[in-house]
Amino acid sequence: MPGSPGGSFSTRPDAGGRRLRRVLLAVFAVAVLLVLIAPLSTTDQADSLGLPVLVDKSQIRILTTIAMFVVMATAWNLVGGLTGYGAFGNVAFFGLGAYACAVLVDPHKLHLPMLAGIALAPIVPIAFAVLVGLPLLRLRSHYFSIATLGTAVAVGEVVKNVEYLGGANGLFPPIVRRGDLLFLYLMVAVAAIAVGSVYLVLRSRFGYGLIAIRENEDAAAVLGVNTTLYKVAAFALAAGLTGLAGAVFAVWNSFINQELGFSLDFNIQMILMAVVGGAGTLFGPVLGAILLELLLQALAGQGTVAVYAQIGLGLLLAVTVIFVPRGLVDFFGGSSRLSLGYLRRTLRETSV
Amino acid sequence: MTLLVQQLVLGLLIGGVYVAVGIGFSLVWGVLNIVNLAHGGLVIIGAYLTWLLFSAFKIDPFLSIPIVAAALFGIGYVLQRLLINRVIRAPIFFTLLLTFGVNLVIINVLLLLFKSDFRSVTPSYSGSGLSLGGVQLPYIRVAGLAVALLLAGAVALFLARSRVGGAIQAVGADRDAAQLVGVNLRHVYALTFGIGAACAGVAGGLISTAQAITPSAGEPYTLQAFVVVILGGLGRVSATVVGGLLFGVVETLAQTMVPGLGAGWANAIAFAILVVVLAVRPRGLMGRPV
Repeated sequence: MPGSPGGSFSTRPDAGGRRLRRVLLAVFAVAVLLVLIAPLSTTDQADSLGLPVLVDKSQIRILTTIAMFVVMATAWNLVGGLTGYGAFGNVAFFGLGAYACAVLVDPHKLHLPMLAGIALAPIVPIAFAVLVGLPLLRLRSHYFSIATLGTAVAVGEVVKNVEYLGGANGLFPPIVRRGDLLFLYLMVAVAAIAVGSVYLVLRSRFGYGLIAIRENEDAAAVLGVNTTLYKVAAFALAAGLTGLAGAVFAVWNSFINQELGFSLDFNIQMILMAVVGGAGTLFGPVLGAILLELLLQALAGQGTVAVYAQIGLGLLLAVTVIFVPRGLVDFFGGSSRLSLGYLRRTLRETSV
Repeated sequence: MTLLVQQLVLGLLIGGVYVAVGIGFSLVWGVLNIVNLAHGGLVIIGAYLTWLLFSAFKIDPFLSIPIVAAALFGIGYVLQRLLINRVIRAPIFFTLLLTFGVNLVIINVLLLLFKSDFRSVTPSYSGSGLSLGGVQLPYIRVAGLAVALLLAGAVALFLARSRVGGAIQAVGADRDAAQLVGVNLRHVYALTFGIGAACAGVAGGLISTAQAITPSAGEPYTLQAFVVVILGGLGRVSATVVGGLLFGVVETLAQTMVPGLGAGWANAIAFAILVVVLAVRPRGLMGRPV
């Protein structure tokens, strides 16, 4: 009975599975490295050496966006995947981080240097997560999901109505000239911090505590896990990481308003990415973010095309949650192979 | 003073729509444990059906309510039977994601069919109303409240008195025990979701008479359904009635009587109420304990 994502699905790979997993990881790492080096071909130095230009500006933008979603999906995974609390409003942290950074670097407000603004911005979402986490993390299942969604919408609406934050017009952090590469690598660094944090959490007492809460919160409490502290800490960590991505986004985009910062599309996409990739695993959200963002970019268009793309996204959502609830990671390195039998089995597990 | 009374009455009347929107949402959540993010989409299908019947066949929007409800019941039954039943035992955010996906499909199919033009249903009596001692009572809104209360009564009676209603309540109370005594879960789940969708359709019909509709006009109603159900509490039709009316009054009063707040604050007020109720009293005003 899959009462929670990830855990009850976990499989122990055999020796062959482990080898396959290592090979796949190595291939994946090399591919990521190549993709990250390629943008350097756009620099003046590369140009003076006569190297070919491998990527254009729009591709760099897509890469930055992918890194941004890697952060958000990975951070969501801490709460939704590891702790088993269906957070449904993480975009609030993104928006708060973005707005905090915009206020910090604004020449007419606090006028800090850009990097200082980015580094300090996550304080706001973290403080907010602790503040709302304490009462809301007592709620379970749907009540927690709805409360977090409500919080996200409410914060967005309040921000839109505050004069100091630019109201409905939003804020405009100073434009950084020729900043494409800078922001790509900044966002990738944030992504690395996010994945690294989850890696460390997974191997720590803290991570085991979170998984224990997911599997059975009462039992975890009896065993001495300080459930409130652990849950709030996971929530705050997710808030900090998501807020950091928001902060980089604000200066990268040099424009932030309520619709961008508290976008319900972002809110749902990060969850979808984590679930498609594999909630509760380290690389699932990363894989999901890469594949889904590429797909969204491929489907992007104007007018009727966009309408069909949205219909396609809706159908994809339905197919994913019905047929591959454990996420794609389950096929790579796990003991499962993608087959009709597998699809039928997962379907039976969750149906009435 | 008259202004206060006027706003109170208007709030109650607007609350009628919230009651209608909340009933189906609450039923599906309470019995199936599904937070149906496609609820707003179903509401707006109801609104478009009402508009079609009105503009093509000149059928009065209040007379077309049974037709719309029946059509939405069918859509809801098929949706649950074919799709949502497949993930009913999965972790909770799977149903959230699935119904969100269904909602995306609904909105965008409506966009293909009807474009994003504003449509409105304007029978001859829309815009006119009664005046009682200086207090205005628009006919549309009064009829809307009456329909919503009738709907609430009908659903409550159906759940309490009919055999199927008993089966639905049994499933809500204990799924496995209900199955042991011979309830066909798949069928009852689909019936429940169908009834929820039918209620959404009725709400859509009421909404089409009160405002212009577009394919995405249902979104706010999903969010408001949350607030209504959380405020009143889960598991009782009467709780939804209280939640809906109270929400209508609080929203109207806050927007018109509190200086500094205006229409722009509507959502912020709604969700502040939601979060505060969840933090302080998660079971709502009169729901069963969480």
